[in-house]
Order: sequence, then structure tokens, then C-alpha cells
Amino acid sequence: MARYQITETDIPFAREFLAQPIGYHSPGLQRVLNRMRGADWEFKYILVVEERYAKWRLGRLAKKRGAKVEMVENVIYTDLLEAERDIFKRRWKDLTGQDVETLLSQTS
Amino acid sequence: MLPIVGYTNKLTVEPGETIDVMVSSFGANRYRADFRQIIQGDTNPDGPGYKDRLIDLDLGSDRTAVAKPFRPGSCVIVPGLEALPRIRDFTLAAVVKPTLLDGRNRCVVSLPGFAEIGIDEHDRLTGLAGDHALVTSTRLSVDHWHIVSLSYCAATQNLSLSVVKDLDASSEPPLPETVTVKADLPPGELTQCVIAATRDSDGELAGFLDGKIDRPAFFDTALDPNNLRNLLADFAQLRRQRSLLGAWDFSCKMTTQTICDVSPYQLHGQIHNAPTRAMTGWLWKGQELDWKLRPDLYSAIHFHSTDMYDAGWEVDFSLTIPDDLKSGVYSVRLVPDGDEDAAYYCVFAVRPPRNRASGNTVAFLFPTCSYMAYANHRLGMDVPGTEIGMGRAVELDRHHMFLQDNPGIGFSVYETHDDETGVFHSSRLRPIVDLQPKVKSFLGGYGSNIWQFNADTHILGWLDAIDQDYDVITDEDMHADGLRLLQRYNVILTGTHPEYYTGNMVEAMQGFTDRGGRLMYLGGNGFYWVVSFNEDMPGIMECRRSEAGIRPWEPGHGQFYHGFTGEYGGLWRRNGHPPNHLCGVGMTSQGFDISEPYVVSPEAANPRVGFIFDGVEGQKIGDFGLAGGGAAGLEVDRADPTQGTPDHALVLASSTRHTDIYLMTPEDLLDPTPDWSGTQADIIRADLTFFETIGGGAVFSTGSIAWAGSMAWNGYDNEISKMTENVLRRFDDKTPFEYP
Repeated sequence: MARYQITETDIPFAREFLAQPIGYHSPGLQRVLNRMRGADWEFKYILVVEERYAKWRLGRLAKKRGAKVEMVENVIYTDLLEAERDIFKRRWKDLTGQDVETLLSQTS
Repeated sequence: MLPIVGYTNKLTVEPGETIDVMVSSFGANRYRADFRQIIQGDTNPDGPGYKDRLIDLDLGSDRTAVAKPFRPGSCVIVPGLEALPRIRDFTLAAVVKPTLLDGRNRCVVSLPGFAEIGIDEHDRLTGLAGDHALVTSTRLSVDHWHIVSLSYCAATQNLSLSVVKDLDASSEPPLPETVTVKADLPPGELTQCVIAATRDSDGELAGFLDGKIDRPAFFDTALDPNNLRNLLADFAQLRRQRSLLGAWDFSCKMTTQTICDVSPYQLHGQIHNAPTRAMTGWLWKGQELDWKLRPDLYSAIHFHSTDMYDAGWEVDFSLTIPDDLKSGVYSVRLVPDGDEDAAYYCVFAVRPPRNRASGNTVAFLFPTCSYMAYANHRLGMDVPGTEIGMGRAVELDRHHMFLQDNPGIGFSVYETHDDETGVFHSSRLRPIVDLQPKVKSFLGGYGSNIWQFNADTHILGWLDAIDQDYDVITDEDMHADGLRLLQRYNVILTGTHPEYYTGNMVEAMQGFTDRGGRLMYLGGNGFYWVVSFNEDMPGIMECRRSEAGIRPWEPGHGQFYHGFTGEYGGLWRRNGHPPNHLCGVGMTSQGFDISEPYVVSPEAANPRVGFIFDGVEGQKIGDFGLAGGGAAGLEVDRADPTQGTPDHALVLASSTRHTDIYLMTPEDLLDPTPDWSGTQADIIRADLTFFETIGGGAVFSTGSIAWAGSMAWNGYDNEISKMTENVLRRFDDKTPFEYP
């Protein structure tokens, strides 16, 4: 069990991530991302390359080696940054049960 | 997915030589093959564009694509048991420490068709002989060695299975559990002994063990299990036992495939699929850490159901390399069912002739050791934390999806086996699906996100773009031929990440620069890990990651010396050959999100390096690129006199900041305080470094994997490309460099 738990107090970091998903992050955002991307997972969202540098499908990869990649139906990205934002929102929901868009609108 | 995959029997071949191609269908019905020189493999639309060159060589017409399986799993096979006297009474015994008990039936030792000792789905010991099956109530444990035996006495008709846990915590040997049934067994018809596996009804190897076995033995009498412990513990005494039919001492001929029988019958065997030898055995209690000094303590082999050495596929066709073909990186391209988009590339190097120089003065060093180390790696799939290091989501390209569906293809030295022990071996005698152009990877940075071979094609493409003739020589060539080969050239260029080096390779490269050769190290984290080849097993490589270094596993206590050569495994830095001696810089940090520019240092104004900056302006260089958007990144090296950087080396430019995904290497992180990250620690940087050698040679080191991704920016028209060309032109001029 990861020690750090994401809560509503992390909402500023969600805002930071959605503005710039890749690159320099504040320590607070890095900690949120470490929780989302760290070892404490049963599955992780992955991007299945449909067309290199053009099109990706969202999948779920189970921890067990050789497990079948489970495709998330009807989720296709044509932009990697948009994919990162969508995965971030899904993980926020998975980890907190809350919708990050709703929280952002309440705190803006 | 990959409807067709293949491999060749060599990764380096000279003109006039023949190379075999092995192909398997994973859905394809038919295929055709052609022969191509690989020029540039990155398909990123922001890059210079994919480029290969069709070579006019007839590889035959359409062929049927035949499905061939992967058959992983290691064991020992001892043939010739039919030569033994007919057996009535017997004892089959071994010492075993399973490392994975997962509900699968496993075999410890088998005399197929006669008797075997195994482990059932409830972790209990099982014995089979004739129609009789026995099982103990004792459950085997991954924490202990167990002395196991199956014996039969015709006079009493007792068939007995016995197990005793060897408990370190107990001063007295615990009593064995023995289960006995009455049986009337016919005399044995023996053919072979299989250790750590058995034969199924089709004669195929099956029931592979994940675990260690020590001193399996076979006797023509029913032995009391209470006596077995002392008997097996002393090979010298054991070999004089008149009841002995075979006893296999795994500590003999340790560096070969041969398994020695210490009995007078000389029933020697062979390992299959390269299990790990030179492993601590039943009697190892820390008395010695080097197997060469006490091989008797290293009498265990660690077997894995996931070991893979030689896929062993039948040859589909062979081709002879034309005598006049210029050296380069080539590929047999397999096109399944007319679908060029689904083509599979079997990549290899055509080296210059062995017996004469080609006349080229520039060579690209094709890093086959590093390609093998990463072969079929699953870093983004199996390894938690890779996504943190990438700073973004994992992309699975179609070859990754193939790996996910086919773990039997065998692993890279970045993985663990299913029992979570490290993978020490990687082989090229199997498809290496990431040794292809066009593939994406995990660690290549935001942008092209390509790694190892495909990233190295940025350099091949650059050589093509600047019309530079070159030879391609491989790590294996350098390992075998040493300086005899390197001395043909004025300049050697490395790939982006020449991380894995044998002792021969280090010596050859050091000899080259010491004697006036010019080295262009166009990468990061080079010359880092010790690896070794095995003279008895072509095509396989060993790596034991001892003590330090950025490593996914450790070899286990007492197991730091390579089984193939006896070398101490781990970092060259800890073995008297820090990379800084060779190239002036050494690994300092890694991160796989974004890359940075270099900031030019005052040392760049030194007239000794004026030629490098000819036509290059500004104080910031490489603020662009296909590998993370900068020339400094992914894995970066620093100059460090305390690690052997020559005193006269000039650091021309350095990266001055990285993201906090970049952290300190463990070998430098003696006290883990929280300030060792890319935005805080000055030590986390790439140092662009130059120095002359005493023999009139010189070394230019980028200390960054991302450098080549910047060379390829804007169709190779940029300052990084320009600087690299400046260095190449001067390095290719034989005028000696003056040692300052």
C-alpha cells in the first residue's frame, strides 16, 4: 500500500498537470504522479500504438506477466498530451472516487 | 501483433559467408523475403524519414509460413543409461531447493518411463515408479534445501519416497518423512536421466523446475534415507560406493555445457537451454564468495522454466553474402501475405572481410552486446516504476504486444524469472523483436521514443546524409579480433548506448585510443556493465549485476562471479576499468521524459578544440532533438577525475538542469538525502568532453543518449550534426593530436 494518498488538497497539482503533462513538475505534482505511476498497482493504463506517432488506443495492462491486454472500448487518441490528460483523470477517479473535472470547476 | 518473426544464426557475417534464416508464422500463411540495407529506422514525421535500400539479391520466391513454437525451460539431459546393468533395486536422490511453488507440477529428477521425483500442485513431494504414485505430507518450501529420494527394494517390495528439510536453524538433522507402498516393479529399461524436467507422452521435455538442484545421484540398491545425507555430502566418498550408478557433480566443467558424472560409468550429460551454473549449493554457508576458489560449494544449478538459449527452429533458407557487398547494417525482410506494413526485419551486420581491410577508415561499432542485453526487454510492461522514469504513459508497439503474448521467447537481462530471481543470460539465437527499424520503445524520450538499435539508426542515417563511407563492426567482432580489427580504422563511432562490455572489448578499445585511434562516443551510460561470452556456447551472454549500478535485481548472496568466465560481475567502474579511462565520462543519472541543451563552458575556448566549434555559434547548443527535445538526456555521463577522467580532458559544454525524474546513480548515492535530483544536484549533467591520448589519438564523448536524436533533427541540418561532422573530419585525418 502506497503511503501517500491523493486527496482534494492535491487539486492545484491536477491543474498544473493538465496545463503541462510532460516536463518540469513541482514537487507536489511529482508526488501525485509517483503515486499514480508507482509500484502499487494491479493494472496500469497503457497506450497501444495503432499508427506510430498518430493514433493510440487506451488499454489496461494487468500486473501478471503475459496477461491479456484489455482494451478500453472506443477510446482513441490522436495526441499524446491529450492521452496523458485523460489517463490522469481516470487515475484520479480510480484512486479517489472523485471526478477531477468536477473538483476543478468547484475550486476555480 | 507480428504475424511473422524470424532470426538469423549470426549477428555479424562477412562477404562470401552464408547466413541461415529461421522463420515462424504467428498468423501468416505465406511470405516472401528480400534483402535491405538499413539506413534510418525512425518513422517519426518530425524526423529525417525512414530509409532503407533494396539490395539486388535473390532470396527465392514465396514460401509457406510454418508455425514453430517457443520451447523455454532448462534442464540436464544425461543420455546412455541403457548401458547400465538392468535395474531392480534402486535409489534415485537429489538435493533440491525450489524457488517457485505456484501450483504447477514440477519434476526434480526423472528416469523417463521408469521413475521420477517431482513436486505436485500442493507443493508436496511426489514419486512415480511403474503404476505407483507416492506423495508425502511434507510441503516443500522455497526457504530450504530438501534431501529427496525414491527407492525400491525387490526383496521387500517396498517402494519408498522420502523427504527431509535441511533446516539451518536446527543443530540436529531432522528426521525424514518416508512414505512406502508395496510394489512389484519389473526391471528397469533405462535410456536417459533428465534433471529438473521430464518427458511427456510425446517425448517432449516437460515439467520444468524453477529451483536449484545439487548432486543428483542414482544407486542400484535401496538406501536408507537416514544415510543419504552423509553420502551425498561427500563426493569423494560417494564415488567409491559400489552401489553407485551415477552422481552428477555440477561444479565440474563449470564454464561448459557438460555435466560430469563422478561415478565410474562416466554418464556425462549436457545442459539444455542454459540454466545458471556457478550457483551456491546445499553446503554453501558463506565460506567463500568466489566459486573458482571453492567450486565444491557451488555445486548447484539454478533451473528456470523460462530459460531460453536456442529457439532451435529449422532453417527456412540461407543466403550467401555477395563478395562485393559493402559493410553495413542489413536485414532480411520478411513480408507476410503481401503486407509490407507487417514486415519483420531480421537485422545483422555485414562486417568487412576478416583477412583484409576494406579501405574504409571510419567504423561504426554495432553494439551487439547491448542489443542482446536489452533483447526482448519488457521494462515498460513488467517493471513497476518504469512509467515514473519515463514521466509519461507506456506505449505498447506491436512488438510489445507480441512479447506480452509470447513470454516463452525468453527475456532480457532486465527481467526476473517467474521466481523473481534475475535473468543472467540473454541469447541471440532466438528472435529479437526490438532489434528492428521502425519500432517504438519505452525509454527513448518524448518525441521519437526509440531505443538502442532504432535510435542508433539516427547515426547510420547521418553517415549516409554526409556521404561518409564506413564499415560496420560488432561487439562480437571486437571481442574476438581485438585491436587487430580496430587498428584498421582512424575513427570508431559508438552507438547511442554501448552499455555492456566484455573484458576483451574494454582492452581492445583502450588499446585503440592509447595507440593513436580516435573514439567518438556518441552516447550515454557506455562501458558500464561487465558481460561475458561462453566459449562453449556461442550466441549467449552473461551479466551478473553485483553490488551497485542501476539494476533491476541482484544476483543473490555469494553469486557475484560470472559462471561463464569466473569474472567478478557488476560495474566496470568497480573492476579497474571505469568508463572515464576510455572516454572521459561515466554514467551519472537517467530520466526518460525530456532532454536539455548543453551550455558551452569556458574550456570550449581552448584552441585545442577550436575545430569542434567551427561554424557553431552561441552559448547554448542542442536545444532541439527527436529524443526528448534536447541533445543532453535520457542517460547522461559526467566527467570526474576521481573516477579516472584524464586531467587534461576538456569539458566543452554541460547540461545545467534536468527534471526531477533524473536521480543519482546508486553507486554515487552514498547517503540518500532528498537533494539528489535533476533540478537540485549539479552532478546530474551531461558533460561534452574531449581529450587527446598519448599516442596521438583523441576521444570525443557526448555523454548523452539523446545526442544522436539531435543530430537527426531538421534532416541532419543543425549545429549538433555540424559539430559531430567537424569531429569526424578531424579525427579521420591521421595527423597526430598533440598531447598537451
